[in-house]
Amino acid sequence: MRIALTGNPNSGKTTLYNAITGKNERVGNWAGVTVDKKESPIKKSLYEAGEELVAVDLPGAYSMSPFTSEESVTSSYVKEDNPDVIINIVDGTNLSRSLFFTTQLLELGIPMVVALNKSDVNESKETIIDADTLSEKLGCPVIPTTSTTGEGHKELIAKAVELKGTSQKAPYIQGDVDLTDKAAVEAADRKRFDFVNAIVKDVETRKVLTKDKNFGDKLDNVLTNKWLGIPIFAVVMYLVFQISQAWVGPFIADTLVAWLESFQGWVGDKVGDASPLLYALLIDGVIGGVIAVIGFLPLVMVMYFLIALLEDCGYMSRVAVVLDPIFKKVGLSGKSVIPFVITIGCAVPGIMASRTIRNERERRATAMIAPFMPCGAKVPVIALFAGAFFDGAGWVSTVAYFVGILLIFLSALLVNKIAGYKARKSFFIIELPEYKAPSLLGAFKSMCSRGWAYIVKAATIILLCNTAVQIMQTFNWSFKEAASADESILASIAGPFAYILVPFVGVLSWELAAAAITGFIAKENVVGTLAVCFVGLDNLIDTEELAMMEGSGAEVAGVMAITKVAALAYMMFNLYSPPCFAAIGAMNSEMKSAKWIWGGIGLQLGVGFTVAYLVYTIGTLVTDAASLAAGPAIAGLVAIVIMVAIVIALINNTNKQLKKEYAISK
Amino acid sequence: MSLAEALEGKDYIIEEILTDDEELNAFLFSLGCYSGESITVVAKRKKNLTVSIKDARYNIDIQLASAIIVR
Repeated sequence: MRIALTGNPNSGKTTLYNAITGKNERVGNWAGVTVDKKESPIKKSLYEAGEELVAVDLPGAYSMSPFTSEESVTSSYVKEDNPDVIINIVDGTNLSRSLFFTTQLLELGIPMVVALNKSDVNESKETIIDADTLSEKLGCPVIPTTSTTGEGHKELIAKAVELKGTSQKAPYIQGDVDLTDKAAVEAADRKRFDFVNAIVKDVETRKVLTKDKNFGDKLDNVLTNKWLGIPIFAVVMYLVFQISQAWVGPFIADTLVAWLESFQGWVGDKVGDASPLLYALLIDGVIGGVIAVIGFLPLVMVMYFLIALLEDCGYMSRVAVVLDPIFKKVGLSGKSVIPFVITIGCAVPGIMASRTIRNERERRATAMIAPFMPCGAKVPVIALFAGAFFDGAGWVSTVAYFVGILLIFLSALLVNKIAGYKARKSFFIIELPEYKAPSLLGAFKSMCSRGWAYIVKAATIILLCNTAVQIMQTFNWSFKEAASADESILASIAGPFAYILVPFVGVLSWELAAAAITGFIAKENVVGTLAVCFVGLDNLIDTEELAMMEGSGAEVAGVMAITKVAALAYMMFNLYSPPCFAAIGAMNSEMKSAKWIWGGIGLQLGVGFTVAYLVYTIGTLVTDAASLAAGPAIAGLVAIVIMVAIVIALINNTNKQLKKEYAISK
Repeated sequence: MSLAEALEGKDYIIEEILTDDEELNAFLFSLGCYSGESITVVAKRKKNLTVSIKDARYNIDIQLASAIIVR
């Protein structure tokens, strides 16, 4: 038996879903966190044995007529997929808006239970809702719940089970309305609101009126202040990075790496008598590569924890407000900010979050440029290069994020020019949810589930890649042990790509090319592959990990045989070139256009190459001009000139078309 | 007058929403923002304002505020 969870955005559907299924789906205190349908069996402890119950979590909607694509998921599911029972989660603090959708759902005939949620907030505000009268007026059971504490969940499920097979009577029937007649539809909707207003008047007693200024409004005045808003956001983000990557993260990482090393040593002892080849393959290559990646887990987990706190407290919508004017200047809006912030954790949910943007061009542009924000998987890459070449300096990470933000702005401008931004009126409206103290337990759970996903990834995809890389660099094409790695399968495959890297690393290195290529499978692979490829590097990375690096950093740099400037350029190429395949897949599903997806990949490749080239060439000219080889520098410049020419041609083409359109419209 | 000229802390009644964007109009409607309903300006800033419609807070930019005609 399937139970569909429906309701307004930010009414607590996913929180309830997580509580009754034991899942750990993303929750947050803003409207539009869930953009897709999810289903899972309900915990057995919540109901008596019998038929299995499956909960279906749906994106929030304000009404049955969809506004954005994720809202249409909800209305089409309840209309076409015939769930057995609907649980309608009603935000008890906003009855007057929520019941509009409720009365529409009741007309479907599917048995329904109303979960009157956020009872705790109502209690603290001394708002009293007469659930019995409400139930009577709506003609369906009403159960007061608090989805954050679990209050009322058992009762809710029991009621839902009880109702299966019955049919729902609607308290309000719209009757026949010609849906193509706008005026008639609006008139009918007005009547529906009148009906809702009458109910609210009867069942709700409020002590505190919503329109009165409250503490949250005072906080808003500071957080969205014209002058303070942006600096406050900058400080908050700086703290997130500093705590996760400099203060708390590395401290935990040290301990973890010590454990992992003893594990590696233990396995090493076990296979010590085996062939040196197996030893190299298993211990140095495969395990070493995975440890190199997992060693960075604490940094990423601390970051996940902090981001979960941010998402939970209600600050995200305020950030959207603060940054809206700036993003308007580059043709986006404040709504794009949420995808960008989520990308800091992982680009896949970040890109998916762009689904709530209604304007198609804005949505596609957001999905395209969000990956410039370095994600959690890129943290190990940044940390490795910062540690190996720059004594673990904090500025490397700061620069990485700052350049990412800058690239977002510049690319947004570019995308607008190419896609043809018509100056049309765009309106910005965002719901400001009430602030709440973020749940530490919730953030901890979210950190664990995302951290677990990271470990699973390390133990599957990354382990597999490392093994493949290790085998490919050990053997030659006739499957005999290669005399040197330079004659291996890997060297011959990655070799041709290495030429692309020459203009910004200064040397022809198939190892660096191989690392960049495996990075498209998962960005952590860059670290793993480097660890596997450079003889001796693996030991350096995993033995002293991170804090390590004072001693071994210079050695790592020595093994890689590239300059500091080249290291920075190579790191940036990996950060700003196209993201991993999973993220490209997410881009594809949000853009739904071959032209846009290829344009996006092209843009990311071009941007990655250009940034790396500029950093290397300018950096080398400043630090050691004599060492800059003319050939690659000119080749790189020619490549960039060609890219710029293509971009200009595209822009001209767009402008011509826009002119034509304007001419016709006049 | 439009909401952009409205005063902070005052209640208004919506008269009309000036937009030819039907979807936006329908969206605002589902929030309870339509002619005849009341709207309160909770905070007013240069480029945006916070309004209270029914029992929720929204932040709207000045462009949208200018399209909402109130009395």
